[in-house]
Amino acid sequence: MPASIARMERCPLCGQAFDAEGRGCRPSCPLASGCRVVCCPSCGYSFPQETGLAGRLKGWLERRKEAR
Amino acid sequence: MTPSAAGAARAERFERKKIATAPRTLVLVGNPNVGKSVLFGALTGKYVTVSNYPGTTVEVTRGAATIGGSPWNVLDTPGTNNLLPMSEDEQVTRDILLQEPEYATLQVADAKNLRRGLLLSAQLAEAGVPFVLALNMADEAAGRGIRIDVERLARELGVDVVPTVAVQRQGIPELLEGVPKARPSAFPLKYDDAIEAAVAEAEPLLPERARLGRRALALMVLAGDDSLRVWLDAQLAEAAIARLDEVRRRLAARYPESLRYVIARQRLAAVDRLHDLVVTRGGSSAASTFARKLGAWSTHPIAGVPVLLAVLWLCYQFVGVLGAKVAVDFLENTVFYGHVVPWADALVRWVVPAGGLQEFLVGPAGVPFRDSDGLLVGRYGLVSMGLSYGMAIVLPIVATFFLAFSVLEDSGYLPRLAVMVNKVFKWMGLNGKAVLPMVLGLGCDTMATMTARIMETRKERVIVTLLLALGVPCSAQLAVILAMLAGVSAGAALWFLGVILAVLFLVGWLAARVIPGRGSDFVLELPPLRVPQAGNVLVKTLARMEWYLREALPLFVLGTLVLWGLARVQGIALLERLAAPVVVGVLDLPPSAATAFILGFLRRDYAAAGLFQHFEPAMRAGTMTREMNIQVTVALVTITLFIPCIANFFMILKERGWRTGLGIAAFILPFSIGVGATVNVLMRHLY
Repeated sequence: MPASIARMERCPLCGQAFDAEGRGCRPSCPLASGCRVVCCPSCGYSFPQETGLAGRLKGWLERRKEAR
Repeated sequence: MTPSAAGAARAERFERKKIATAPRTLVLVGNPNVGKSVLFGALTGKYVTVSNYPGTTVEVTRGAATIGGSPWNVLDTPGTNNLLPMSEDEQVTRDILLQEPEYATLQVADAKNLRRGLLLSAQLAEAGVPFVLALNMADEAAGRGIRIDVERLARELGVDVVPTVAVQRQGIPELLEGVPKARPSAFPLKYDDAIEAAVAEAEPLLPERARLGRRALALMVLAGDDSLRVWLDAQLAEAAIARLDEVRRRLAARYPESLRYVIARQRLAAVDRLHDLVVTRGGSSAASTFARKLGAWSTHPIAGVPVLLAVLWLCYQFVGVLGAKVAVDFLENTVFYGHVVPWADALVRWVVPAGGLQEFLVGPAGVPFRDSDGLLVGRYGLVSMGLSYGMAIVLPIVATFFLAFSVLEDSGYLPRLAVMVNKVFKWMGLNGKAVLPMVLGLGCDTMATMTARIMETRKERVIVTLLLALGVPCSAQLAVILAMLAGVSAGAALWFLGVILAVLFLVGWLAARVIPGRGSDFVLELPPLRVPQAGNVLVKTLARMEWYLREALPLFVLGTLVLWGLARVQGIALLERLAAPVVVGVLDLPPSAATAFILGFLRRDYAAAGLFQHFEPAMRAGTMTREMNIQVTVALVTITLFIPCIANFFMILKERGWRTGLGIAAFILPFSIGVGATVNVLMRHLY
């Protein structure tokens, strides 16, 4: 099963905000296990969720922004 | 039943009774995820009823509230971006507004993204629906430096506007004061003369006492809203319907684009003007005049083309020069073959006893790391070939491409690129819905294959799947193709582009003949263009690189394992001999290119990486001969027309079934080789 994380995401193509839970776009894909690519329910655009190193960088940037 | 359960049931019956007897209804409408349901909860309290809207599976929630001392029904509708429905959810919301007796509307907008909300306000204004506007999440908007001139907005719209923070119940008392005073907006939204004339002609033909005003209904009819047809058929005589169709046909003939698109564009322009009047960001206008102009040029049918070409050229330079030359040179020669591979080689030969595993990890002993047993260097060692290809050649290329792609996303150009690509696909002969999977295929073909579900018939789905597998390269493949094209002569690059476009045009043209009717339009909200934020771009690029490493690298390892296994049983030599009539005889490529095609079954970019490394010294030195240019072009055309990757192949089998999936593969394999052979013959005579 795709490993999308349940959190709000905003589609970079159409701007739709949506809950990423269950939005992994390729449940039947042989590489779906551990895959964090989510699929926008509005326009179908797919993009990887920002997790791992990217997620930590995002968190650090947000904390820095809030601290200012 | 326990006492508390019985109490709850009584309370629910009481609320149901209140709902049934309340004289007025408040309908909550708004874009998806703007906090509408939270506001609904704040207004109605605990007891609500949830039921499917008649004839649909869409849930509608009803509750009761006391507003201005009187009981009101409150109805929460599914989130919608448009009163011209594109989905069942949106149709339910539009139908509620069309059929619900005597109501006022509370529009909930996201203050952080007011433009989307105002697009809906403009349509409520056109419909003559009495409404109050709640600017929800006002605290988050203020936190982001977005300032909204609420009084000016209320003046321009002619309705009450209340900033709210629904989760903290801020602004709710002011909202409750405003609801009984809800009134139709006087926002003056004018279209061009032809549309206004058509509206004036259509209005008298439409029902006078509908909940939505005649002007809104006329615009829905002109925009080709099929979902309204059943309701209109029940309301109007056949002659009136025929007249409306005639007005619409005449108006449609005046524009090259669909009327839905033309009307949406003009409405959006009016909303943009209002948005600029009332929204400021950090002291300056939310979108500068230049950015607005650039945004308009970038989707213009004529001015958009040079903008599109300029963006593609910049991407090509960035990926082809910085990624494929500078970054690959450093990572491949300095990092990998200078340090990583020798260290790994020494370590493995020290730790792992000589034999199969040692050879699989670093290649045979005593053979230089970069020795090639044909086209692919590294003698099928996991480190000397698999990781070197994945990390030192493909990764820098896709990383620069992902960086460029993230800039396009964050600047707001990506949706505009999608609009322009949509136009290009339409010129190719593809129509309506078929375009969406094609555009999405440029991101990931596997996902786009699944999107082909939106096509109505099986025949359409098969054709779209075939087109995706055949000629639409995904982002990673596009990056390696760009890198390869930067290394060949301009003439060879034009040959490649010409052939791929010609194949797409031909297959698209055939598909247009086979796929009947007119599909729906590709409708996207276009955000304003802005200067990309370095932090956002970095995070997006990193996320894509992580995804790529997780998805592609295991396949690179698998490919290396397959080749290593074949090499140990002399399978590669056998395969080369078997493939020689096609690879050497038909395509005029070296026999060893067969190994690249094996990798092509796993991932097209892996195969292209083999070609890239083989020709890289000549590309860098600028000594590519005519023969080399022809060979690269032929191999690149053949590999591009291959099935994109093994994941895509499995998705085709899953979505279309084994028979159709194998049929598609059986068509693509000879077709790609046939086109490669034709290019080879033509280039040897004409290039």
